[in-house]
Amino acid sequence: MATTTKKKLPIFEPPAGSLAHAPLGQGCFLGETERLQAPKLKEALATIKNWFRANSLWVMAYGTGCGAIELRPLVTSRFDFERFGMAMRPTSRQSNVLIISGYLAVKSLKRVIRAYEQMPSPKWVVGLGSCTINGGMYWDSYNTINRLDLYLPVDMYIAGCMPRPEALLAGFGDLMQRIKRGEANGWHHYLENFDWYKANQKKVITDWNMPDYNW
Amino acid sequence: MPFVVKLGWSLVGVVAAIAYGLTIGGLIRKVMARIQGRIGPPVWQPFIDLGKVIFQRTATQHGVMFYLAPIFRAGGGMGLYLLVPVIIGVPALENFSFNGDLLLVMYFIFFGSLGMALGAAEAGHPHSPIGISRGLSQMTAYELPFALAMVALAAQVHSFSIREIVLAQQGSVLHWNLFANPLAAAAAFLAFLGMNMYSPFNIVGAPQEIPVGPPTEYNSKFLSLMMSGRAILAVAKIVLFMDLFLGGAHSLLEVFAKTLVIYFWSVFVGAVFPRFRTEQSIRFFLGWPTVAGLAGVLLVLVR
Amino acid sequence: MTEILDQIRQRFGAEWQHVQRPDLLQIGVDAKKVVPLLTWLKEHTPFVQLTHLSAVDWIEEGQFQLTYLLTDPTAHVSLMVCARIDRDAAEAESVSALWPQAVTYEQEINEMFGIRFPGSPRQGVPFILEGWDDIPPMRRDFDTVAYMNTRHPPRPGRKHTDPRAYVGQVFGERGFLHDD
Repeated sequence: MATTTKKKLPIFEPPAGSLAHAPLGQGCFLGETERLQAPKLKEALATIKNWFRANSLWVMAYGTGCGAIELRPLVTSRFDFERFGMAMRPTSRQSNVLIISGYLAVKSLKRVIRAYEQMPSPKWVVGLGSCTINGGMYWDSYNTINRLDLYLPVDMYIAGCMPRPEALLAGFGDLMQRIKRGEANGWHHYLENFDWYKANQKKVITDWNMPDYNW
Repeated sequence: MPFVVKLGWSLVGVVAAIAYGLTIGGLIRKVMARIQGRIGPPVWQPFIDLGKVIFQRTATQHGVMFYLAPIFRAGGGMGLYLLVPVIIGVPALENFSFNGDLLLVMYFIFFGSLGMALGAAEAGHPHSPIGISRGLSQMTAYELPFALAMVALAAQVHSFSIREIVLAQQGSVLHWNLFANPLAAAAAFLAFLGMNMYSPFNIVGAPQEIPVGPPTEYNSKFLSLMMSGRAILAVAKIVLFMDLFLGGAHSLLEVFAKTLVIYFWSVFVGAVFPRFRTEQSIRFFLGWPTVAGLAGVLLVLVR
Repeated sequence: MTEILDQIRQRFGAEWQHVQRPDLLQIGVDAKKVVPLLTWLKEHTPFVQLTHLSAVDWIEEGQFQLTYLLTDPTAHVSLMVCARIDRDAAEAESVSALWPQAVTYEQEINEMFGIRFPGSPRQGVPFILEGWDDIPPMRRDFDTVAYMNTRHPPRPGRKHTDPRAYVGQVFGERGFLHDD
């Protein structure tokens, strides 16, 4: 992806003064910390591409909270999400969906932001449980956030505490329908309103020691 | 037939082999799902995965070797495929077999993994070198029984050409090298389990320990090249084994039947065994499979 | 097993004692006697395992209470040793030389209550709260709802219902469903 100011770089040459030797905190990876230029939304053959993406959703195997316990039965024989083409991937580089399962502590939020920004676009975020919607059971806790969509663009909320696997399957089905209709564009919203999201994140995470955008 | 036409047919065969490899992968997933009592993905799911991965935007890249590694892997697979005759008697599908290609085949199998190792080392991820060191040490171990089996076959047929080996197996089922030289076949089929990097020898890309090991940083179009490279390497290997031990094929139906049998051999073994550690698998390959290979060579020399 | 309480009273003196269950004994001692008492308990009695170390905030009396839960693993009996320290200069002696797991407990108490354990490693190293900029949150004068309203404000349009009124509406005065 190209940034707002720099032109496309040749593949085997980091630019002069880039991060191979730059100190941490100043920029990571090719020395680019500015926000990305949001790619154009309308693309050719969007229907076909969205059909492929919806029928092969790879979920990142990262259980951020207590809701992850309802994700495990999904993989087993009784509920079986593999028949929809979904699979669990261990690395953020190869996954499309990030599931925030349950409450999100501020400490986890820092790592989740890093994982989210490392995923390749197009990518989707699913908020599981009431804690992502309005704080849920931990609404008055000093350690957890109350509104997930201030920090990450959420494409689907699944309400419950915790939602049962049948509810999860219904939620994923709705997400697939939204993707096929071309309505699930949270990643695009994130890039367009990057400054707003980053300001919200920095208000909550007071010891920010990462680059502004983690490739 | 003229060289250019033959090359064209071989490239068509490459595309068909990639499709066949992906279909076999999907078929195995469906079969395993049914064994486990669930519905499982459709058989054409790997094609959908490949399409989705191609239509993603690349997140990051890490330099020259990172780019070249999937090309090495796919190139190794394609080179291997272009050397083994698929169907004897149909010149369009006989590919380019020549005297000495038995040794070149071993090189191409190694070349794919070597390229992957070099690319993954450049990824800058700490788990990749762990996976690579495990994979390459396992590879040096299983190359030994495999090479001994190749030497036994070559000595038996007095030729290093795969085509000659296939032609020497014609006649009856008992002429197949599986029955004519069972010790070499045993050594080679045990080495085949290590080559596929399927359970019990899949410590290279153990998903729970090191997030898939070498391919950790590969995303979008790099991943698509790796997936198709894996497909064609798998198909080329099973066609090679069909030619060397199961008497080649005279029709497309024979190709499908024999290659599926060989592929299911590794799947069935993988379904019942847990994962071996690296030193356990090295000790295994340098044990009975090597003994079987040596015995196969001696048998041929004595006869 | 209550003779252990008599032995402690004889050797070290105790402020109060209580037998909650046959396998849960409680005793309150002076803060200066805690480390000698725990050393004696670990070396010369069956109570060799430190199971838990926590703190209680007695804000009305201006004191913290440290509670050491020791266990006898063979007889399955627990002994709680409770000691009060001053709330404003909150300092206590570390027991990390006796049990290495106490280092983590003391780190957590330092972060959550603000009690210092001089000599214990990892004091001040963040355990759960990274970049915390307020008073230690387990203290009872920390207003968690006010903190939530400023740092994690709720979604606009959220309605807040008092549980007591809601239960009264649905379930009536008796507090449970009834037919009439």
